[in-house]
Amino acid sequence: MNIDLSTYKGLFTDYTELRCQENNSLVIGFLKGNNTTNTRLTTSGVSARVYKDGAWGFASSPETTADGVKFVITTATHNAAFLAAKERQDAPPLPHGEVTTHHDSPPTSQQLNPEQFVAFLQEIDHYIATNYPGLASRTVTLNRTELKKNLLTSDGASAFSLLSRSLIQIGLTVEQDGAPVSLHEVFGGRGQFETLFSTPEALYPKIDQLYEHLMRKREGIYAAAGLKTCILAPEMTGILAHEAIGHTCEADLVLGGSAVGTKRGQPVASPLVSLVDFAHTAFGETCPVPIFVDDEGTTARDTVLIDQGILKGFLHNKESACHFQVPPTGNARAYRFSDEPLIRMRNTAILPGKDRLEEMIASLDDGYYLMRPSNGQADATSEFMFGVTLGYEVKDGKLGRAIKDTTISGLAFQVLQTVSAVSQEFKWLSGGMCGKKQLIPVGLGGPALKCQVMIGGR
Amino acid sequence: MSLKELNSYALQALEEAGAEKAEAVITRSEKTEMNLENGALKLIRTTVDHHLRLTALQDQRQGSILLNKIHRQALEPAVKEVMAIAASSAPDPAHDIAAYQPPKIFSKGETTPDLDLMYQRVKAFTQQVAADFPRIVLLNAHLDFTRQTTFFQNSNGVDFTVNQGGYRFAITFSAQEGDSSSSFNNTGFFTLNLDQALLNCGSLRILLDQANQGQAPRKAPGKFIGDVIITPDCLEGFLHSLLGITISDGPLIAGTSPFQHKLNQLVASPCLTLASCPVSPEISSGYFITSDGYEAQNTPIIENGVLKTFLLSQYGANKTGLTRAVNDGGAFVVTPGDQPLAEILKGVKKGLLLNRFSGGAPSPNGDFSGVAKNSFYIEDGAIQYPLSETMIAGNLIALFQSIAAVSQERIDFGSALLPWIYAQGVTISG
Repeated sequence: MNIDLSTYKGLFTDYTELRCQENNSLVIGFLKGNNTTNTRLTTSGVSARVYKDGAWGFASSPETTADGVKFVITTATHNAAFLAAKERQDAPPLPHGEVTTHHDSPPTSQQLNPEQFVAFLQEIDHYIATNYPGLASRTVTLNRTELKKNLLTSDGASAFSLLSRSLIQIGLTVEQDGAPVSLHEVFGGRGQFETLFSTPEALYPKIDQLYEHLMRKREGIYAAAGLKTCILAPEMTGILAHEAIGHTCEADLVLGGSAVGTKRGQPVASPLVSLVDFAHTAFGETCPVPIFVDDEGTTARDTVLIDQGILKGFLHNKESACHFQVPPTGNARAYRFSDEPLIRMRNTAILPGKDRLEEMIASLDDGYYLMRPSNGQADATSEFMFGVTLGYEVKDGKLGRAIKDTTISGLAFQVLQTVSAVSQEFKWLSGGMCGKKQLIPVGLGGPALKCQVMIGGR
Repeated sequence: MSLKELNSYALQALEEAGAEKAEAVITRSEKTEMNLENGALKLIRTTVDHHLRLTALQDQRQGSILLNKIHRQALEPAVKEVMAIAASSAPDPAHDIAAYQPPKIFSKGETTPDLDLMYQRVKAFTQQVAADFPRIVLLNAHLDFTRQTTFFQNSNGVDFTVNQGGYRFAITFSAQEGDSSSSFNNTGFFTLNLDQALLNCGSLRILLDQANQGQAPRKAPGKFIGDVIITPDCLEGFLHSLLGITISDGPLIAGTSPFQHKLNQLVASPCLTLASCPVSPEISSGYFITSDGYEAQNTPIIENGVLKTFLLSQYGANKTGLTRAVNDGGAFVVTPGDQPLAEILKGVKKGLLLNRFSGGAPSPNGDFSGVAKNSFYIEDGAIQYPLSETMIAGNLIALFQSIAAVSQERIDFGSALLPWIYAQGVTISG
């Protein structure tokens, strides 16, 4: 990462992005008290992407040396020229980006050593084993990641960015009638482990709460399949914002025929719904995945996708912005040094409203309060699906029995039309990874929503 | 210093640093990839990478490190760090490395890509799709050639070299329906060469033809318990989910697997025979060595419904006292049945042709629910219409126990060889 990229600017012959990147991660895992994993992973390298007459060439090498840099620039330039010559695309030049610089500060806190990390997790594992001996199984996993990027573009943009994330995942399993019932939760988010997790004891109340939910889920019932009015907890809303709406507003999907393609300026949701893809700061605080300059060298700015129910815009890289004749939004992101930037979300959130979660639940005669998502998927049609690992039935305004694992689905823009209440309470999900050819860390946020969704039960 | 010499040097350095048992693995890969975006060839990628994974065991404590700096100067700090990681771990007598096996070199596939042929195949594919399936929108697609060389050595004398090369093609597509588009779908395949037109490989032609029909999708009629014909594209995911919650390390070590005591017992319909065949000529991709350093072998997993093996790693086997699997799973080959798909379809009273399942991760007990994507409603033995907004729910174990028929036809994905299966008792709600 110490290489001076500007030394190689003379090798640029066309529009070129040159990126040097290092990804570090530490994974330590305990399964039922067994230290199954203790691994550190470091991958680093350099890549170049070149644009010529509507064609792109890309190359990467793990060698962050002069030879490595020369190889990637030469090969990417050759690849772009090969394709441009074959395809002869009549494409305009990319918009000339602003000359921008950005430099994230390195972490200042003292880092734990390997023994301290293991001891920290062992203490959590011991707490669970001692306090909840009836569990069939338990997992405690640390995943600490760090992405360092150094970027230089032929437009003159340069940036050094650092993204750190530290997560502890706790999974608890109990047996009910001979069958396992599980519940897990992820703690932590953006930042250094040492600043996020002061002591193991700080997590114990949250683990106790997780166990209480598991005990209720153990006695859980199948949700009744069909269209139901539900309260989506903020954790669920965040994934709705990302999967069901955010993806359909990525300009590459819009060009591929997504459901929003012809709906700019039109109502697509209840007027109670506003949705923003935040670049780095929201509500006066740093977002879970702050992006100041994207991997094309564009200064990242907040992008309003829905304003009081009206569809306002899409997420762009330079090329799609050129197509739609709008400024790029700073959404071009790559995960590893060997990945090309794609249009990706950053911190996508439905904005909080004026209702109170407690009152929203009290207002529901017959439905479900859905609290924790697992995975989610969405479609260009805006049809979405999220797994639900924790939820409760609501009868006459009161929480009832827990439900077993289920799935909810719907057409996002139909579901958003049914939103009748939006809570003041807001929460970010800070451990999210989005998959679209490559993985990428994202932030997902939202308030609680009262709306109608399809629930997959028996 | 060659990569092989560097790997030997790293192994020796681990032993000299005090590792009682050690393992060093270097993998070098080079990929050339052509990318289509919204029907147009937009990008060519060339990526070169290499990884070194070092594992050390000392006093029953294991640590490992993976890095992609493999020059000699980077080794010393890496060895020091992996020893520190091992020292920090909790002791566990189940950690071990592979036992001695005779040194061997494995080779498969081509060594370099034919860039011009790759270009011709991709161009021909886009032209054929435009001509034969005019409603289809190719959202993105990529054809890549990857060449990978792996050196695997450990302190028990294991010394394997693997050279593998081949082409992988993957597409995501939808179909134009008036002003809007259908749900997207995706598929792909692996092949050792580009002798055939891309459109003739895997399930591409079948899926594109179905999507091109242009019939407006509708919800399934109400809520009912129905049948499902699971297509080869959809089956692989179901198989991975089933095996993941039943016969893999995690649930067996935790003691939560529903198949914990079911070896050599009936766990699925007698119609189902499933094997994992990473070194079979039927599987173009596959793998020659397991992740813990044993030469991989083909193995039956379920034979006429009877569970024949657990998929335990060496660690999992040591932990549970059960037998280590002879491979890492995957590379699925399902034995074909005796009925053509058309005959099976005629027997479905009310149900779905399930092309893609978009669902939450199944529960540890096998419960699943999700959306039936790119799927079709079947009634009275005939496909009626494409589906939208239709959910299915059931239990994976019960689903595989309910299989009533397996098709004669199979799809060769290069990485798996799979038929259509006919299962029953799924809750369907539209």
